[in-house]
Amino acid sequence: MSRQTKPTVTTVSRQQRKKEEELSQPAPQAAHPERFLGEKKSSSAARRKTKPITRVFQLVVAILATLFAVYPVWFVILASGRGSGRLLTFNLAGMFIPLEWTFENYQIMLFQEPLLTWMRNSLMVAGLTTIACLCIATSAAFAFSRMRFYGREWGLVLFLAIQSFPGVLSLVPVAQLLTAIGGYGKLWGLIMAYTSGTLIFCTMNLKGYFDTIPIDLEEAAMIDGCGPVQSFLLIALPLARPALAVTALFAFMVGWGEYVLASVLIPAPPTRLTAMVGLYKMANDINIPWGHFAAGAVMIIIPTLLVFLYLQRYLEGGLTLGGVKG
Amino acid sequence: MAQWKGWRKVLTVLAFIGPTLIGILIFSIYPILFNTYISLTNRNKFHPNPDCSVGLTGILEPTCWAVFREHASAGIGEPYRLKEPLFGNYADLIGQFFTGPVLLALAKILACFVPLIIAGPINKRLDRQLDRAVQPRMVTLTAIVLGILLAFALNVKDAIALITGSGDFIVVNFSTILYVLICIPLFFVVGLGLALLLNVPDLPGRAFFRVILIVPWAASNVAIMIALVWKFFFQEQGTINQLLALIGLTGRSWLQEPATAWFVIVLANVWMSYPFFMVTILGALQSIPVELYEAAEVDGASWWQRLMSITLPLLRPAIIPIIVLSSITTFQMFGTVWAITGGGPSRGAGTPGATDLVMTYAYKQVFQTQAYARMGAFAIIIFIMLFAAILYSLRISRITKGAYE
Repeated sequence: MSRQTKPTVTTVSRQQRKKEEELSQPAPQAAHPERFLGEKKSSSAARRKTKPITRVFQLVVAILATLFAVYPVWFVILASGRGSGRLLTFNLAGMFIPLEWTFENYQIMLFQEPLLTWMRNSLMVAGLTTIACLCIATSAAFAFSRMRFYGREWGLVLFLAIQSFPGVLSLVPVAQLLTAIGGYGKLWGLIMAYTSGTLIFCTMNLKGYFDTIPIDLEEAAMIDGCGPVQSFLLIALPLARPALAVTALFAFMVGWGEYVLASVLIPAPPTRLTAMVGLYKMANDINIPWGHFAAGAVMIIIPTLLVFLYLQRYLEGGLTLGGVKG
Repeated sequence: MAQWKGWRKVLTVLAFIGPTLIGILIFSIYPILFNTYISLTNRNKFHPNPDCSVGLTGILEPTCWAVFREHASAGIGEPYRLKEPLFGNYADLIGQFFTGPVLLALAKILACFVPLIIAGPINKRLDRQLDRAVQPRMVTLTAIVLGILLAFALNVKDAIALITGSGDFIVVNFSTILYVLICIPLFFVVGLGLALLLNVPDLPGRAFFRVILIVPWAASNVAIMIALVWKFFFQEQGTINQLLALIGLTGRSWLQEPATAWFVIVLANVWMSYPFFMVTILGALQSIPVELYEAAEVDGASWWQRLMSITLPLLRPAIIPIIVLSSITTFQMFGTVWAITGGGPSRGAGTPGATDLVMTYAYKQVFQTQAYARMGAFAIIIFIMLFAAILYSLRISRITKGAYE
């Protein structure tokens, strides 16, 4: 911080001098307002010009930050391409650039280990969670946004209260409940648990978005004889498409990346694990080379990254639109 | 839409919110009720099974219901029953905390922050005076020095020892709060710094950096994988030690020493959480009118002065809600810490490890020691604390929202 202050201070003082010179120039500017404006613009453009040393400092910080941000992911990619006994390289360049590359780990993960089964399980769990969550939560969000009924405010407070109950600590009752109904250790049990876990988030998010849609359209429709169901399905739902997409993505990410619930509710057998649990077990198994885990992790992380980064601007927009504040 | 009344209205509303309500009732409210009940019993590894003839147990235990009897586990061991005294588990957890000496110790620790708290209003008053006899910076500095002196005078070290000696629950809560207090300022500083950097309009490759610096946020969706990578970095034979060996230094066993293990879990969390701060602050920065900076420049304000007097005050409404929000999520941090240190390094059997936070401790107690009843009480206390925090945060964000608009 202090290193950055110094050059900027000098910049400012130089700019100030420039400004003073400009100000000390007499009258013509006032006589020609247009010219004055033009000059002002160019002076502000000149002010934006940063001193070289500041620029270098900014770039160094940016590059260091980039290294910090990307290196863990980059490291997994590097490790996944190294042959099995050669995970640790004693070469400085080898820690940053792929000097050698083999698809051995990928082949093992794809054809010998049950990674594809795990990924299919995860996809199924995440996909069905998303669908179930949207189907259930959208109508509730609409009701909370548009209808006035007894207990509405209390319902919203209750939602908040429930969300503040730490998930790890409700594991035992949920596991017991699923044992009782026969869903313990099965994918559908996990889907039920995930769906109800993301319900509140989905409802609140969608409710926030419905709140921002003007009610006039629906009122006009109701004058024309629409009931609440029709105004929900025909008017509000199509308008809420962006929020639906964002909420769906979030629900999907929860189902895709969650570890704790999955590890407790489906501890075995190996063919029924989700990708997170399976890979976690692999990484902590001393008998399995870390490179295998790395190859599996790359296949999990990279698609997630790409999807998220691609949709990121919509996510921000959708979140602020939906107003999940607090 | 409120013109219709009577049964039709009730039915419509129920049709709309019914499915959600049922899901929440079964998977959210039921676990809370069940936990509350269990916290009043003596259920543990020696008394694991329900006694269905007892009234509430018969209602709350799903395996007692006639429909699900077939799935009931034919376990061994005595059934659990209500604890004598009823709130025994709660007393075990926090009873020792509410005794005279411990509360006094807590008061001593809080007393050290009093000068800093007083400095705030003084500074505010000084700010309004045009001819300042004393610089606000000096006031803050004096307050900090006074606080440190007070810490020595009141023997805070002993006070902390006394508090951490009063039960695992208190220890774990203490270290979790410490974790939050370390992490959140770091998130903020890193996020603010990078947001300011990305806000430089003619930074070369700005769009590229803008995307690349969000990578950790995207990766936090699969946080457990990344946590495993961090663990690998800091292992005995890990990347960091390799790097150190290359430049001729001997590495250390990062995850086996309390201080370095803490460093690792903080670092991993900063990596994962700063983009959220960065993106939010960047958005807020762009909504600050440029005229303010231009006016300040004309007045000859330095970069630092502009940051302190324009940027930070105007960022406040955007920052406070996310600080509260991520304090709560950091308090509940489980996966990352679990994957990296597992709560270790151990400080002896039965006591929480050096990096045991609230959730990792509870998880261990439930799944390794099977102290269900105690952890039920634990859950309820944490629940009350978090709920209070969330209600407070709602109030704050409502206030700041009012200030913003």
